[in-house]
Amino acid sequence: MNRLHRFFRTPEAIAGALILALLIAMALAAPLLFSGDPQAIAGPALLPPFHDWSLPLGTDRLGRDVLAELFHGARTSLAVGLAAAAAALLIGAVIGTLAGFAGGLVDEVLMRITDAFQTVPSFLLALAFVSIVGPSLGVVVAAIALGAWTGPARVARAEVLSIRERDYVAGARVIGMHPLEIAFREVLPNALPPVLALSSVIVAAAILTEAALSFLGLGDPNRVTWGGMIAEGRTVLRTAPFLSIIPGVSLVLTVLGVYLAGEGVVESTAVRRSLS
Amino acid sequence: MSEFTISRRGLLAGSALLLASTALPTIGFAQTPKKGGRLTVAADSEPRNLNPAIVASNGVFFISSKIVETLAEASFDGKDGLEPRLALSWEGAPDGLSVTFKLRDGVKWHDGKPFTSADVAFSALQIWKPLQNLGRTVFKDLAAVDTPDELTAIFKFAKPTPFQLIRNALPALSSVVPKHLYEVGKIEDNPANNAPVGTGPFKFAEYKAGQYYRLARNDAYWGKDKPYLDEIVYQVLPDRTSAAAALEAEEIQLAAFSAVPLADLDRISKVPGLKVVTKGYEGLTYQLVVEINHRRKELADLKVRQAIAHAIDKDFVVKTVFLGYAATATGPVPKNDPQFYTADVPTYAFDVAKANALLDEAGYKRADDGKRFALKLLPAPYFNETKQFGDYLRQALAAIGIDAEIVNNDSAAHIKAVYTDHAFDLAVGPPVFRGDPAISTTILVQSGIPDGVPFSNQGGYKNADLDALIAKASETLDTSARTELYKEFQKKVAADLPLINVAEWSFISVARDTVGNIANNPRWAVSNWADTYLAG
Repeated sequence: MNRLHRFFRTPEAIAGALILALLIAMALAAPLLFSGDPQAIAGPALLPPFHDWSLPLGTDRLGRDVLAELFHGARTSLAVGLAAAAAALLIGAVIGTLAGFAGGLVDEVLMRITDAFQTVPSFLLALAFVSIVGPSLGVVVAAIALGAWTGPARVARAEVLSIRERDYVAGARVIGMHPLEIAFREVLPNALPPVLALSSVIVAAAILTEAALSFLGLGDPNRVTWGGMIAEGRTVLRTAPFLSIIPGVSLVLTVLGVYLAGEGVVESTAVRRSLS
Repeated sequence: MSEFTISRRGLLAGSALLLASTALPTIGFAQTPKKGGRLTVAADSEPRNLNPAIVASNGVFFISSKIVETLAEASFDGKDGLEPRLALSWEGAPDGLSVTFKLRDGVKWHDGKPFTSADVAFSALQIWKPLQNLGRTVFKDLAAVDTPDELTAIFKFAKPTPFQLIRNALPALSSVVPKHLYEVGKIEDNPANNAPVGTGPFKFAEYKAGQYYRLARNDAYWGKDKPYLDEIVYQVLPDRTSAAAALEAEEIQLAAFSAVPLADLDRISKVPGLKVVTKGYEGLTYQLVVEINHRRKELADLKVRQAIAHAIDKDFVVKTVFLGYAATATGPVPKNDPQFYTADVPTYAFDVAKANALLDEAGYKRADDGKRFALKLLPAPYFNETKQFGDYLRQALAAIGIDAEIVNNDSAAHIKAVYTDHAFDLAVGPPVFRGDPAISTTILVQSGIPDGVPFSNQGGYKNADLDALIAKASETLDTSARTELYKEFQKKVAADLPLINVAEWSFISVARDTVGNIANNPRWAVSNWADTYLAG
C-alpha cells in the first residue's frame, strides 16, 4: 500500500500507469470487441476516420477496419515487448550471475561474449536474425532478446560482484551449499532489483524494434502490427495520412507510457531504499 | 467590309480554339519538337547487367533501350504492329525455315565502327539463342545466320518456326550488340555489359551507384535530326513515395513504370504542370496470377482450384488493389492483345456459396473451427499490388474455410522458394505477356521445365493434352491456324486452371507538361526516345 502510494506521488507515474492500463485493457478486450479476423475486409477502402460510426477510425487500402487493427496491434506490440523483455532479463540475469559469481575464466569468457554482442548494433542483429530464420512472432521475440540481454547481464554481474563478498554468502558456503545453489538462491534474488529497473527501457525498446522490423516487412505478415500498419499507410501518405498517423501516435504513447511507469517504479523503490 | 473582317476574326478565333482543344489532351503533338535539354527520369532499380541482349527485362530496357537498338520496335499503326529500327524489312519463307532481314545502311556503333549483318548474326547465335532469358525458347531452333552481304541477314531454322512468333518477338528479343567488342572473352563478363555500346540515339556516359545513370546524345545517330534531347539522367529513387515529391519539386520531369503510387495519382493529376499518362504500355502487359503447387493433394483437385477461382472477387481486386488502373482477366492472354485474345473461355464468377459447395463436394469439409485445410501463400515482393493482392487473397480464402499463411520473402528468396525449392502452395506472381503466347506465356503451364527456371511452370502441373497443343502451335506456320490453336490453349487453361489469372495491368507515367512525344508507341517507356523532347 505504502509503495503504491509512493508510486502515485508523481504525475508522470500516474500518466504512465494510465496509458499502460489503457493499453492492457485494449489488448485484453481486442478479441472480445473485435472478434474474428482483424484483417478481414470490413468496408469500402480508404474510408477516412469519423465518417462512418461502425468504422470509427476508417479503413485502410483494402477496406480493413483500422480500429480493429489498432486493438489487435496493441496485443502484438505488448506481447512482443513483454516477451522479449522477459527473455532478455532472464538470459541477462543468468549469465551475469554466473559470470560474477564464478569469476576467473568463466567470467572472462562470458563477458567477452557479452562484449561481442554489445558491439553489434542490436537492431542490425535483429534484422539479420529475422531475415535468415524467417519472420514469425517467436523469431521476432528471439531476435529482439538477442540484442537486449547484454545490459541486464552487465548490471547483474556488477551487483553479484558486491553481493558475493557479503557475510551471508560466506555463511552459505560454510554450511556447505552447492555454489550454483548459492548463486541462484542467495545471490540472484538480491541482485535482481537494479536489473528489473532496466525492464521498462527494454520493453519500450522492444516495442520500437518490433515496429521497425514490421515496417521493413520483416514482421509476422499474418498478424496485425503497428509497424506493419505504418508501412502499409506510407504508400498513401499524401492521400490518407491517418493510416500512418494513428498507429504512429499509438506507438509513441505506448513507449512513453511504459517508460513513465517504469520511471515511477524506479523512483518509488529508490525512495524506499533511501528511507531504509 | 467590316462584316468580312469580323467574320474572319471569328473564323480565326474559332479555328484557334479548335486547335487548342485538340492539343489539350495530347500536349506536345501540336508543338514542333525543340532540340536540346536534359531529361531527368526516376529510376527505381539499378540493374547491374545492362545488356538487353542477355537480360531481356523491362528494368534493363528502361535504360539500355536508348543505347542498344533492336531490329524493330512496336508501333501503334505500323504493319503487324511493328516499325523498322535496325532492320528495314523482314520476310519469312513459306516453309518456316528462314527469315530474311534487310538491314539499315550507314549505321555506326558508338565507337565509330560500322554496323553490319555480322553483328546481327553474332548477337543471334552467340547471345539471343544460348544466353537470353526469352531468346532461349523463341530461337531454340535457330541453326545459322547467313550473311550474303553486309546488309542482309538470313536466319535459318532447323525446324519450321512460325514467322508470326519471330515478328512478335522482335521488339523485346532482338537487341543487337557489337560483335567486335563481344567476340573476345566470355560474353557474360564483358565490360560492355555494364557500360553498353550500341547504335542507339544515346550513348552510355556514366553510372554512379546509388545516384544516377547518365546517357549523352549520339551525334552520329542514323535518325535525321535525332535525338532531340542532349542528355537523359536516370535519378535513382528506390523509395516509391519520393518520386511524386521529386516531380512536384521539378527535380525530375518523368516518372514511368508507375513510380508514383496509384493511390497518389488522383491527387497528382490535379497538380498544375503535371500530366498523368496511361498510354504507352500497351505492349507491356503484366498479369496478376495465382500460381498453384499441384504437388499438394488438395490443389491437385480441379474442384478445389475452381473453388479458389470462384472465391476471388476480380472486380474488387481491380477497383481496390489497382484503383481501377487494371482490367479483370479471363485467361492466360490479356484482353488488350489484338491478335490472340478470345473471350470464349470458361469463366468463374465471384460466388462464395458455390466455392464452399465445390470444396464440400471435393471432400474437404469444414472442421469444428470452420477451417478446411491450411496453405502457405507466397506473394511476390516486386510490386505493392502483388503484396496487397496477397493480403486480399488470404481474406478471400478465409471466407471459404482455407487458412492461408502468408510468407514474405525478398526478391531473391522468393524466386528460390517458388521456382527452385517449390516451397509454396499458392504464390502470387506477375508474369508479363509479350505479344505472343509462345514467348513467355505457354512456359507457365507447360510441363518438363527444369527446376530453377524463374517465371515458368514450377508447380508440378502436367497435362498431356495441353503440352501437345503447345507443341503443335509452336510448329504451326499458318498465322490464322496458329492463332486458333492459341485460342484453344486459352480455353483449356481457363478450364483446367493450372494457374488462376486474376487481372491484367500496365503502368502509368507521370510527366511534366513540358515533356513532348511521350507514349507514342506501345512500348514507349522501353523504346529509344529518339523523338522525345523538352519544350520551354
